[in-house]
Amino acid sequence: MIEVEGLSKRYGKTQAVAGLSFRVEPGTITGFLGPNGAGKSTTLRAVLGLVHPDTGSATVLGVPYRELDRPLHRVGAVLEASEVHPGRSGRNHLRVQAAAAGLPASRVSEVLALVELSAAAKRRVKGYSLGMRQRLGLATALLGDPEVLVLDEPANGLDPAGIRWLRDLLRSLAAEGRTILVSSHVLSEVAQTADRVVIIHRGTLIQQATIAEVLAGARGATRVRTPDAVRLRELLAAQGVVVSEAGDGALAVDVTPERVGELAAANGVVLHELTAERATLEEVFLELTGGETTQ
Amino acid sequence: MTALVRSELLKIRTTRGWWAYLSLIVGITGIAVAGEVGTASDEERSAADFLVDLVEIVSVSSFVALILGITIVTSEFRHGTSTPTFLAAPHRELVIVAKALAATVVAIGFVVLSLLIVAAVALPWLAIVDATTSLGDGELATRAASHALAIVLSALIGIAIGTAVHSQVAALVGTLVWIFVVENLLWGLFALLGVDSAVQYLPFRALDATDGSGGELMLAQGLGIAVSLGWILLIGAAGIWRTRRRDIT
Repeated sequence: MIEVEGLSKRYGKTQAVAGLSFRVEPGTITGFLGPNGAGKSTTLRAVLGLVHPDTGSATVLGVPYRELDRPLHRVGAVLEASEVHPGRSGRNHLRVQAAAAGLPASRVSEVLALVELSAAAKRRVKGYSLGMRQRLGLATALLGDPEVLVLDEPANGLDPAGIRWLRDLLRSLAAEGRTILVSSHVLSEVAQTADRVVIIHRGTLIQQATIAEVLAGARGATRVRTPDAVRLRELLAAQGVVVSEAGDGALAVDVTPERVGELAAANGVVLHELTAERATLEEVFLELTGGETTQ
Repeated sequence: MTALVRSELLKIRTTRGWWAYLSLIVGITGIAVAGEVGTASDEERSAADFLVDLVEIVSVSSFVALILGITIVTSEFRHGTSTPTFLAAPHRELVIVAKALAATVVAIGFVVLSLLIVAAVALPWLAIVDATTSLGDGELATRAASHALAIVLSALIGIAIGTAVHSQVAALVGTLVWIFVVENLLWGLFALLGVDSAVQYLPFRALDATDGSGGELMLAQGLGIAVSLGWILLIGAAGIWRTRRRDIT
């Protein structure tokens, strides 16, 4: 559906994308994740034929974007919310795109209603909030009723109610069988909607999996509290287990609670607490991407 | 292509710049006609070629058409609207051709508007002062058509410059500097080298010749049109090459 193969792109001294490969399966919502500056926008723009890769390729619906017949009817995209002429009204911006795609003016009213922007449609975009611009961007993407949607950080600038609205909209669009690739630097934004995630960092692929797989692969930790900490540490260290202080006199151990419990029982060590600590998706994300967050 | 031209025409009509262009044409043409009719003697007003002379005023639109041509292209890069534009039409050269066609339509519209202003100011005025008005023997139409062609070429060279330069400020300022400074400096240089006549082939000197009003060191109209088209194609080809290669970020 969307296929990126060995994609590399350098801007001056910055290697934005470095040998990135991934696939987006038809009919799924795929979260495209990475910290700011990871190369997400460059990759999406390469998929859409806006950026020329140095090496590698990107195809959508089996062909390079440029070779799509009537592209707005096949692929809808929301890139930056600022890519609208500030002096044009929201409705006129959509009319311009609709005209280029050979779509009737009635379609403009339909998408305005769909993104709940009808009331502000005649105002000039200059006066729009970031959230309204995001809605206008979504309306633009939906004009041609495309089977593929590519959205770059669509939740930026939306308030919590707006994010919820976006989530519901994406769910209903996916339920209609569309393929959606949605980027974000905040995992929780897409975690509840996405079927799969593609995580990138510094232009390379970190992981491509379902959300369950990402969680399962995360390093679990066990929290254990004992009055006999020195003894337990020795026992665990003898087994080659890494032990660290977890505060409150508790220990953090990188093996399962079962192993800790069995070892303690076999050696008569009293335990006061034994908890499996599942990493949250957000923690896994931070761990995978080196904990770098700029926002 | 029809869809893209319609989209481009809609882009032109849906910003405030459009009203600025129209007011500029109405204002300047109106003032120029009023000035010419007002300062003319009764004798001059009744002369057979007075109306033909008034039609020359239409050429004020050529500068507006040049600015329009440059702006149509560069505002896409200035406001980032090149992204939605090239998503709708990923073959970027088609967008440029559509812009050239739209600019041609608008330039002809400018000429028609100018002519209407000339007629609306001059004809009632001349009727009130009882001047004899004569529409000439087709010369009026020939002059109007020549000006229309010159103004279309102005718009097209603007499009070509915009596709080659992309930065709105650089394109507008650069063009003004080129017209008013560089071509004059080159003229001086050519004179020093004893090749004065080469100045006729400079882009905006050649463009000046396309309306056939003639002048010293000016190409004949036909040759002026050919040389102007040559420059448009040359700059335009460089522009298409650059626009196709550009990363839209």
